Amino acid sequence: MWTLKLALHYLFPKGRMGTFFTWISIIGIALGVMVLTVVLSIMNGFDKTIHNKLIQINGQIKILSSSIIEDCTQWMHTLKNFEGVAHVTPFVQGIALVQHGDYVQFPRCLGVDEKTVQSVLPLRSFVCSGDIADLNQGVFVTKGLAQTLNINVKDTLDIYSPLSLEAIKRDEVLLPKELPVVGIFETEWAEIDKNTLLCSLKILQDLYGLNNGIHGFSLRVKPGTSIQQLCLKLNAHLPKPLRAYSWMELDTDFLYILKLEKAMSFFVLLFVILVACFSISSGLMSSVVRKTREIALLRIWGAQRWQITALFCWQAAFLSSLGILLGFIGGMSVLHYRNGIICFLTGLIFPENFLWNFYSFSKLPAAYAWQDFALIGGLTVIIALLAAIIPALKASFSLVARSLRSE
Amino acid sequence: MLLSADKLTKFFVSSKTERFCLWHDVNFELFEGESMAICGESGSGKSTLLFALGGLESVDSGTICFCNQMISHHLNPHIPGISYIFQHYYLIEELNVLENLLLPVRVMGEKVDTGVMNRAHHLLLELGLEKFSYQLPRTLSGGERQRVAIGRAFMMNPRLILADEPTGSLDEQTSLRVSQMFFSICQKFTTSFILVTHNENFARQTNKYCRLEQGELKRCK
Ligand SMILES: Nc1ncnc2c1ncn2[C@@H]1O[C@H](COP(=O)(O)OP(=O)(O)OP(=O)(O)O)[C@@H](O)[C@H]1O
Ligand SMILES: [Mg+2]
Repeated sequence: MWTLKLALHYLFPKGRMGTFFTWISIIGIALGVMVLTVVLSIMNGFDKTIHNKLIQINGQIKILSSSIIEDCTQWMHTLKNFEGVAHVTPFVQGIALVQHGDYVQFPRCLGVDEKTVQSVLPLRSFVCSGDIADLNQGVFVTKGLAQTLNINVKDTLDIYSPLSLEAIKRDEVLLPKELPVVGIFETEWAEIDKNTLLCSLKILQDLYGLNNGIHGFSLRVKPGTSIQQLCLKLNAHLPKPLRAYSWMELDTDFLYILKLEKAMSFFVLLFVILVACFSISSGLMSSVVRKTREIALLRIWGAQRWQITALFCWQAAFLSSLGILLGFIGGMSVLHYRNGIICFLTGLIFPENFLWNFYSFSKLPAAYAWQDFALIGGLTVIIALLAAIIPALKASFSLVARSLRSE
Repeated sequence: MLLSADKLTKFFVSSKTERFCLWHDVNFELFEGESMAICGESGSGKSTLLFALGGLESVDSGTICFCNQMISHHLNPHIPGISYIFQHYYLIEELNVLENLLLPVRVMGEKVDTGVMNRAHHLLLELGLEKFSYQLPRTLSGGERQRVAIGRAFMMNPRLILADEPTGSLDEQTSLRVSQMFFSICQKFTTSFILVTHNENFARQTNKYCRLEQGELKRCK
């Protein structure tokens, strides 16, 4: 293993803390790795936040049907006893026309069963004002809807159901349902917060003339159960019009875009490492030229070509490994102090609370994934080794006699 | 017989069509423990001949045998038993003196055991370098560096040392000291050597003193 030892000596000569080339190369790699770590971890953080939000809004599994489900209580019983299912809640969904004074909107309406909904969807955590227990006495509106309708708690809302259209065809008039607003909620999911109305199952069933029919169920699975596996099992058991969807299937496109975004960032930022490896390559090449006589001597002493190649590949491996290590440490430190750093940076330009006021988030999410670390580390080492290949081959194939003559 | 050269000829290509003969019909024999010196003008082809004898440079005709083995039919930089000393030392700047001595042993794939360490220390002592063992080459003077290079050449128990102007970069007094050390160590280990030099005094101290003139190797002593 003299190649390993000599490679280390080339990078860190006795009595010195490494050469200029050593540190420039390490810092280059470290910067690339750091940027990748930070960006990917923050993207993971956002992904995680978004996933959690999607689960909070939809439940882990939704069972939908193309027709109205009539025997709700029986299905509730069946589903609840299904292996892996912890809680079940029925829902009705649709749209309605709502009016408050001169303001009219077509919000998305969700009717939930007050008794069981809390065990599947954490509605209480969304409430801004009012009490979720009052759901049977009126409706909850989102903050956005409250603003566009200029409505507040205790105001009354006129709700026109789609049935009134049917009535008009028959030259009848169906009076709107007058319901008080009992609360305001916000999910922090823009699509929902813009325009959603929440009420009890009963109210929406009446409004849509469903009697006891419902549109579907939301499920919470037992801890440790695989959502996808459970979905497969459910779909094997459920009769035709009913179908179980995991939260991932419900937002496939959106989740795909998130994944694509992450992959693209990774690809673009990989160029930082690529550039750093070019500098390793040129540094090693100049080292090969400088040491051409020493290399010739090594060959005279019996070093094989592959050993000379290894001598330079080791250097690249060392530089990249140290760079990766420093990059990970740097990246994790930046992530650890990210909020402080952002506050400091924005504080330089903007008044305090700028982020909070304008983006309504005070904390940047971040999550580490060991797969990301492995991918970053692995690719960096591979690129660095590729960068070392040309100088290494030049070193191993130079002619001994010619090298010894060159002055 | 340790080394024999028989009718060696070397051509170099000077331009697209022309070749010139650097030397021709070089014959000599060197026995175990014998020494030889090659003098000659600059550009007469001394270094080329030395490299050819060590298997680093090809010859166009003729044969070279080292320890009864033909080494002239193909280039092979590593011939066990042959060591080199160069004018410009070529020490590894990143390693200290002792490590410089041990590196050839390591490259040859041998274990650095107490025997090897003893040999290294013995050589350092012999060359008056023991107090520099842990210093880097750049902190040494030219003469000291050349002594390190001599020590390194002896680390592998060579039977033949090919020295290309080992004192070429040293002043007169240092040259004298270094070459006396070199001669005495060679004698001690009964190692043969071929010395390329411009210094006739050194050349005359060897068993065979030759001059390379007009492409011919002429024996002067
Ligand atoms: N690869 C080559 N192609 C063509 N000519 C070469 C080549 N290598 C060496 N020569 C020529 O061969 C001649 C002899 O070179 P060499 O180095 O052997 O001389 P030398 O006797 O050692 O000289 P010096 O005393 O200056 O070291 C020179 O004229 C040199 O230009
Ligand atoms: Mg020469």
